[in-house]
Amino acid sequence: MAKVAMMIDKTDHVATCIAPLRRGETVELMLSGRKRKKIKAKQSIPFAHKICVKAMKKGDQCLKYGLSIGSATKEIKVGDYIHVHNIESNRGRGDLENN
Amino acid sequence: MARRKKPVPRPIKTWFGFPRENGDVGARNYLLVLSGTLYANPTCERVARTLRHSVSITHPLGRCQIAPDLKRTFDTLVAHGQNANAGAVLVIDHHREEGCTAEEIAHEIAKSGKRVEALNIRLGGGAIEVTAQATRIGVEMIRELTNERRQEVPVSKLLLGLNCGTSDTTSGISHNKATGWVTDQVIKLGGRALLAETTEMMGGEDVLADKCVRPALGKRIWAMVNKMEADILACGVDLRGSQPTGDNMEGGLTTIEEKSLGAIQKAGSAPIVDVIPYSVRAKRTPGLHVMDTPGHGGESITGIAGGGAQVLIFSTGGGHTINHPLMSTLRITGNPVSVELQRDTLDVDVSDIFTGTPIEVAGRRVYNEVIDIASGKMTKAEILHEDNAFAITRTGPSV
Repeated sequence: MAKVAMMIDKTDHVATCIAPLRRGETVELMLSGRKRKKIKAKQSIPFAHKICVKAMKKGDQCLKYGLSIGSATKEIKVGDYIHVHNIESNRGRGDLENN
Repeated sequence: MARRKKPVPRPIKTWFGFPRENGDVGARNYLLVLSGTLYANPTCERVARTLRHSVSITHPLGRCQIAPDLKRTFDTLVAHGQNANAGAVLVIDHHREEGCTAEEIAHEIAKSGKRVEALNIRLGGGAIEVTAQATRIGVEMIRELTNERRQEVPVSKLLLGLNCGTSDTTSGISHNKATGWVTDQVIKLGGRALLAETTEMMGGEDVLADKCVRPALGKRIWAMVNKMEADILACGVDLRGSQPTGDNMEGGLTTIEEKSLGAIQKAGSAPIVDVIPYSVRAKRTPGLHVMDTPGHGGESITGIAGGGAQVLIFSTGGGHTINHPLMSTLRITGNPVSVELQRDTLDVDVSDIFTGTPIEVAGRRVYNEVIDIASGKMTKAEILHEDNAFAITRTGPSV
């Protein structure tokens, strides 16, 4: 049985991996209990971490729950592992000069 | 092999509690030994250790705080004395702590109709002498408290606290969803729930504002989140690392927005009927109430207990030991790894959501546990005296 990643909203860029994925492994996307397309993980992804299901360009808003969880800091392709190395928060950034 | 006792049919719309004079209902009937200042903490702890059926609440505050900060300490202590889980209260202070004396605290608590006595270590003849006096009064109070019986009351008498901690990416899709189902169920039956953690509303303000029954309440949510964010920006640092915390990120949460959108799943789908400041008693209006508290778990659930909640669902990704000394705190998780690692203090396992159990079924399991806990069943951390989560959030420096 193929491993599953859960999408929460159909507009989301990310899905949550219900099992850890190895690089190159195929995962089946689920949305509202229904199976969607299959994608291949480009890197290993730990349990419950995020995989990209829709490509983003640098600066794009990354959606989960149908809402922004931050901005892409680089180009992100379908199947990429998504975490702090390619998404950053838009909130509470006292470290940025323009705030 | 010993045969297991047949389970007693569980009430669905009622629970068993201790009705109070002011209309509140306690899920516990403890004698609360409440410290007015840090220098009374050891005496309070000695008294509570001596007296079965008592709990002590101690803290490092009550002195050398600027006025608004001291008022918050005072209000929070009073609110805990008024919480329905305390059947009677002993308040002990050390010197006369201007603005936070045991007498003043006791005077306010007495308005709830419960028996309360104030003692002062200096005026009472010293630490040993006051320990003896408090113990003697406490014995009589506990004799009365333990002679009271639980009565069947409707779920409308329940104020359910909601908090999450050590969140990860399982939170928003498993235990917080199950908690949201419980919130909806309690409110459908005329009860109240209390959502908090202002830091974890950052990024979810619009969703929460849309739930408010009046636009003015939505504006209050925006205002309290903006203030929290302004305080963070004023520190000139990046919030990341503090929120999400290191363990949040290890659990897969990338940003505070992601953490927030998962956290607010605990609110379910009920409308927000009120937005209140830290540790202020929630009104009796049925529905979802929102309190302005920090993301710090102990400080947040202390505010919620001050709001009057008798039971709190602590919904956790990484597992937890958190427990409020007075408000029954049950810990649930949907993360199968944490179920194993934190089994010692885990009350409800909902990790089967990941193997196909519907949210409603898992939510019902948590709801049943809430009813049982409210009716007297003890949580694991309660049995273990894991009373680690009384912490008053501060507005100013020590001076």
